[in-house]
Amino acid sequence: MIEAFLASWPLFGDTYLAGWAVACLLSVVGVQVVARDQIFLGAAVSQASTLGTAVAIWLQGVTVIHAFQADAVTFLFAVTASLLTALASAREAKPGGESAEAVTGWIFLVGSSVPVLLLAHSPHGLEEVHRILFSSILGASRTDVWLFGGLLGASLVAVWQLRDRIVLYAMDPEMAAAVGMRPALWRVGLAAWLGLAVGLSIHSAGMIYSFGCLVLPAMAARKLCREVRPMFVVAPVLGLATAIIAFVVANTVDLPPAQLTVALQCGVLAVAWLWVRLRSGLSAVGDAG
Amino acid sequence: MRSAESGLESYQGPETEKGVVLRLSGARVGYPGTVVLRDVDLEIRKGEFWFLLGPNGSGKTTLLRTLLGLTPLLAGRAVRDPRHAALARTGFVPQQCSFSPALPTSVREFVSLGRIGGDRPRAEREADIAWALERSGLGGLAARDYWSLSGGQRRRALVARALVRRPSLLVVDEPTEGMDVASQDDFLETLETLHRDGGSTVLFITHHLEIAVRYATHVALAGEGRVLAGTRDEVLQPAALARAFGNRAATMARALATGSEA
Repeated sequence: MIEAFLASWPLFGDTYLAGWAVACLLSVVGVQVVARDQIFLGAAVSQASTLGTAVAIWLQGVTVIHAFQADAVTFLFAVTASLLTALASAREAKPGGESAEAVTGWIFLVGSSVPVLLLAHSPHGLEEVHRILFSSILGASRTDVWLFGGLLGASLVAVWQLRDRIVLYAMDPEMAAAVGMRPALWRVGLAAWLGLAVGLSIHSAGMIYSFGCLVLPAMAARKLCREVRPMFVVAPVLGLATAIIAFVVANTVDLPPAQLTVALQCGVLAVAWLWVRLRSGLSAVGDAG
Repeated sequence: MRSAESGLESYQGPETEKGVVLRLSGARVGYPGTVVLRDVDLEIRKGEFWFLLGPNGSGKTTLLRTLLGLTPLLAGRAVRDPRHAALARTGFVPQQCSFSPALPTSVREFVSLGRIGGDRPRAEREADIAWALERSGLGGLAARDYWSLSGGQRRRALVARALVRRPSLLVVDEPTEGMDVASQDDFLETLETLHRDGGSTVLFITHHLEIAVRYATHVALAGEGRVLAGTRDEVLQPAALARAFGNRAATMARALATGSEA
């Protein structure tokens, strides 16, 4: 199995590296998403990226402006849509105003319906939307490796430096403000980090892989850890480990690696749930004894 | 030195030499377009136990936010002594801390987060945590899951989180809401001990008059857009209560006389 995987390296090495970097990056970002109970926001940000891609492809069809024809524009639209969604969710709820959750739900539904309507008569466009939704990471390039490697490195450094503040902000924004942190700045900063990471990942790895890597390792880490800070280590380790195993197995048995990674992460989360139940059961027996 | 954001001046001079930790003079407090309190004169000195009293909606929390420098002053002057009331030396105990119970945290991790923005050396981290837990009556519970604590113990964890930065000024915002009487007494005794033994200045916000009667050295009474501040005996007079609490004043006055629930 390993030999077959290594034999495929010259052809797919960049794809593997980019996929692992994405898994690691999104697992780190996902800790703050899960800690703040914003899992649905992760889905909406991912879906918005599809909308951005669809709008770009639609513009390419209806305009003759040469600049719109470039792939980079599609990429830019996808990232911008994710970023804007994340930032929209970061606005402070005002009395009588709409809740962030309601706005997130609306964006999710717009992102799910409008792309198909926009591209209903464009077979090539629908194909691209399906590619994003289906999550094929085979097209990842050397540029993606550098891009996600760089983002991962920057994210790890930032998390190492700011982990306590991220945890305090996730737990108690009022206290965070009282100790001198600026809530508005943190809201926007964390949203931008999420929007950028997800927007970039969706374009290369698709929605299922990106959304799965964003929330599943962090949710499993939440179950396995006794504190929030270790989640920043456990989540990327789980994300990376599941992606490596899934890529090796997928290569051997000819399955889609993105879907296999997400299925494996779902399995890990289920095991984590069982482990917590078992642990509390054992602890209850111990206390009774 | 004036903070552009808060309008609070950090000041060390004759006033602070006299032990003034925080001073508001002719202050107008509120939000752009809404004045909540006007003509506020308040002088808090080192080691005093202040109670900010007033009915719901009287502007206690807005005044607190202004004193902490979180809400800018609309007019007037605010001075704080950076040695005793800088944000790094201020411990804040909020009304509550409601994060998702699905989020795992130990008492130790929860308390350690209070060091953020403080000026304590990194090497003292473990000693500070142990000290704060001990002083809050949570010694020996550091490794426990925060969510396994009782409601009263969680309030104590909030106090420990404020104490871990070894504050000179402790600000406590209505933390006894929803506590049973025994837990309330226990909690207040802890604060009283901290104040008496540690010499901390305490600023306690509540609308429960009977607590102030028992523990306050000084009181600031908010009501009808104004604040009356002074020693407990100066402020807690029937006339002042009538102005602040309106038709509840008679009940309040009886509470003052008996020390019972208002």
